[in-house]
Amino acid sequence: MKERINRTVLLVVLAFLVAAPWVLPAIGFDYWLDILAEIIIWSLFAASVNLLFGYVGLLSFGQALFFGMGMFGVAIGIAKLGLGFWPALGFGMTVAIGTAAVAGALAVRLTWHYFAIITVVFSLIFYFLALSAKPLTGGDDGTSFSMPAMLEAGGFELSLTDPTVQYFFILSVAAAAYFLKYLIVKSPFGMALMAVRENDVRASLIGLNVYFLRWITFVIAGGFAGLAGCLFALFGRYASATYMFYHVSGEGVVWTIIGGAGTLFGPAVGTALLIVVREELSNIWEHYPILVGLVVILTVIFAPKGLMGFWNALLDRLAPAPADRASGGGRPNGAVDAAAVPAERRTGP
Amino acid sequence: MTCKNKTGKPEATWLRTELPRRSFLQTALAGGAVASTAYLSLTRDLVAKESGPIVIGHQCELTGGFSSWGYWHDKCAKAAANLINEGGGIGGRKLEVPVADTESTPAAGARKLRSLIQRSKASFVVGSVHSGIMLASIPIATELKTPYFSAGEATEATGSKGTRYSFRTGTDTYALAAAGAPWAFENLGKNWTMIFPDYAWGHSHHQEHRKLIESMGGKVNDPIAVPLGTRDLVPYLAKIPEETEVLFSVFFGALSVAFYTQSKSMKLDERMKMYSVSGTIEAIHPEAINGAAENVFFLENFPRPLEYKNDEYHKKFIEMMDIDPVHAQENGSDRVMAKSHAWQSYENFFVLKKAIEASGWQRNKDTPGVIEALEGLEMENSLAHPQGAKLLRGEDHSGMIDCYMSQVENGVFVVKRRIPRAEMEALLPPRYDFREYEL
Repeated sequence: MKERINRTVLLVVLAFLVAAPWVLPAIGFDYWLDILAEIIIWSLFAASVNLLFGYVGLLSFGQALFFGMGMFGVAIGIAKLGLGFWPALGFGMTVAIGTAAVAGALAVRLTWHYFAIITVVFSLIFYFLALSAKPLTGGDDGTSFSMPAMLEAGGFELSLTDPTVQYFFILSVAAAAYFLKYLIVKSPFGMALMAVRENDVRASLIGLNVYFLRWITFVIAGGFAGLAGCLFALFGRYASATYMFYHVSGEGVVWTIIGGAGTLFGPAVGTALLIVVREELSNIWEHYPILVGLVVILTVIFAPKGLMGFWNALLDRLAPAPADRASGGGRPNGAVDAAAVPAERRTGP
Repeated sequence: MTCKNKTGKPEATWLRTELPRRSFLQTALAGGAVASTAYLSLTRDLVAKESGPIVIGHQCELTGGFSSWGYWHDKCAKAAANLINEGGGIGGRKLEVPVADTESTPAAGARKLRSLIQRSKASFVVGSVHSGIMLASIPIATELKTPYFSAGEATEATGSKGTRYSFRTGTDTYALAAAGAPWAFENLGKNWTMIFPDYAWGHSHHQEHRKLIESMGGKVNDPIAVPLGTRDLVPYLAKIPEETEVLFSVFFGALSVAFYTQSKSMKLDERMKMYSVSGTIEAIHPEAINGAAENVFFLENFPRPLEYKNDEYHKKFIEMMDIDPVHAQENGSDRVMAKSHAWQSYENFFVLKKAIEASGWQRNKDTPGVIEALEGLEMENSLAHPQGAKLLRGEDHSGMIDCYMSQVENGVFVVKRRIPRAEMEALLPPRYDFREYEL
C-alpha cells in the first residue's frame, strides 16, 4: 500500500515535471519554469551531499568546490577556449571529477568533523584561487558567456536559449543522474556503502575496502555536484567564484537534512521546499533568511528524519504493511531506507 | 458532410464545384466578416496605444556587503519614480518600479533579474552597482531582450561582455583612468605605485591607469596585490617603494577604512601623494574614520558639497535625498550618500523615459526603437539629470560625463578641478561598437 502511494505520488510529480513547460505558462506562472529548472539543478547538488552523508556517513562542506569546478569548466571552455556546447560540458565534468579524485584521495582518510573541516579547507583554497586568477576566471567579476548551440544541422538549430529546450535538457540530465544514483544505492555496491556507514570496522572485517569505497563515492558525489555546476553555468550563462564558497555547500547540507538524508528523493524535496519559500519570502521581506532559518529549525525539531522520513512514518501509521499490521508495528518492509535506520543501529560497537 | 451528385453517388461537400447562390452569399458574408475583423485587428494593432503602467524593474543591493550603497540606489529610484509619476508618467502611462534585492551576490542578483523581467513583467531594468552581479545579469537581460542599465565599474559591461542591451551612464575603470590620471600625473607625481586587494576591480584599475601613466612618460612600479581576507595591511604597505610619488589605492568597505587608517599611522601621506577613486570612500564620512582620509585625492562623479556644482537642479536633488549640502549625510541619520554612483539609479529612469517617449514605445516588441533612441542620447543639465549634461555614447553605450578631482580637507571634499567630459572623451576612444550587433 505504502509503495503504491509512493509510486503514485512519484508518477504525479513526474507528470507535472514533464507537463510544466505548457501548464505553468497557461496559468500565468511562466516565471516558475525557470525556478523549477533551478530547483532541479540544486536538487542534483543536494543529491551529491546526500550520497556522501546519507549513504556513507561523510558530512561534506566542500561540494561547492566541485560545483564551482563544473561551472568554471563550462564557462572557461566556452568563453576562453572556444569550445562548443558538448565539449564544454565534457570539459566541466572532467575538471570536476578530476578535482574530486585528487581531493578525495586526501579527504577520505579522515572521518567525522575532521573530514568536514578538510572539505571546508579545500573549498576555501580553491575559492581564493578562483578569485585571484582573474585572467582565467574573471576573478570576483566571474565569467559570462553566450550560449552555443546544442545541435546545428543545416538550418536547424537547437539551443538552450529556448526556455522549453533548456528546461527539458536540465530535466533529462538530472533524471538520468537520479536514475544512476538509484542504481548505485540499490546495487551490492550501494549496500557496501551503507555497511561502511553503519560500522566501518565491521565492514573492513568482512573484506570491504573502506578507503576505496569512501573515495569512489566521494568522486561520484563530486561528479554529481560538478554536473549540477555545469548545468547551472549553462542555465545562468555565467560562472562565479561565489558559488565555490562553503556557504553554498552548507545550503546543500541543509536541503538534504530537511528533505531527509539517506533517501533517494529527500534532497529534492528539501531543495524544492526551501527554494520556493525563499522565492516567495524574498519578495516580501529582504531579511527572509531569518524565516527560512525558522522553517529549518522547526523541521529539524518536528521531523528529525527530514520530510521524507516524516512522510514515510505517516504512511506507515496510516497504511501499515500486512506483516506490520499483524505485529502491530509500523516498520516498512522491503527496500532499505537509511533515514529509517534507528540511530542506535548506526552507532553500534 | 456529404451530398449526392447527379449519378446518385455521395460526394463530399468540399468537392463540389457548383456553389448555390445562398451558399455563395453566406460564404461572401462570412468572408467579409472575417476580413473586416482581421482588418480591424490589424489597424488596432497599428494605431492602438497601451494604457497600462510601464514597468521598469530596479535590481539593487538592499542587503549584504553593498547595502550601504544600495540604500541610496533604492532611495534614488523611488525619488525618480515619484517625480516621473507626478509629472504624468511616461508617455501618459504610470511608471511602476518593482524592486529586487540582489543580496549583494551574483547568484541572487541573476535570479532576481529573471524575476523582475519574467515575474514582475519589467520591460526595462535599472540594474546593479555590483560588478559581479552586473556581469552575471547582462547575458540574461540580453537573452530576454530587455535593456539593462548598470552602475558597476567593471569595464567589461560596456566592453568585451557588453551587448546591444547593456548600458551605463556612469564611469568604468577605463573612463576613470581617462578622467583622473592626466591631472594626477601632472599635479601629484610621475612615479606611481598601485595597491589593491587581489581581485578584479583593483586589477582593472591598475591595467587602465598603467597604460595612461606610461604613455605620458611616467613610471609605474610593480603593483601590490593584497591577498583576499587580509586584515593587517602593514606588511604590504611596507613594500611600497621609497621613490613612489603617488600611491593609488583601490580598496572597498572595511578594508578601505583599514587602508586609510593604517597608511595614515605609517605617515605614508607625508612621503607621497595619496590618490584614489570615489568608490573607495562612498557612503563613508571622512570624519567617521578619524581623519585618516585627510589630504587624500579622490576622483568623483558627483561632488559631495553643493557649492562645486551650485545650481538649482543639484539643490533640488539634495532636498529630495534629504541630505546635507556639505557632507551628503542624511538628515537625522548617520548614513552618507553614495553620491558618485547612486545618481545613476535616479537619472537612468529619466534616460529611459526620454527614449521611450522619443521612440513611441508601446509594448515589448517596440524595444528595438528604444535602444536606437538611447544610442547617442544627449542629456541636458536638468532636474532629470542633476549630475550634469551628458552623452550616452552610441558605439559603446557608455556615459560621457563631467568628473571632479577632490581632496579631503578638514573632513570636507574640496573640488580641485572639474574635469569636463570632453577631456575624458579625448582619451577614451570607443573600443566596441554595439550598433553593429543585431537587435
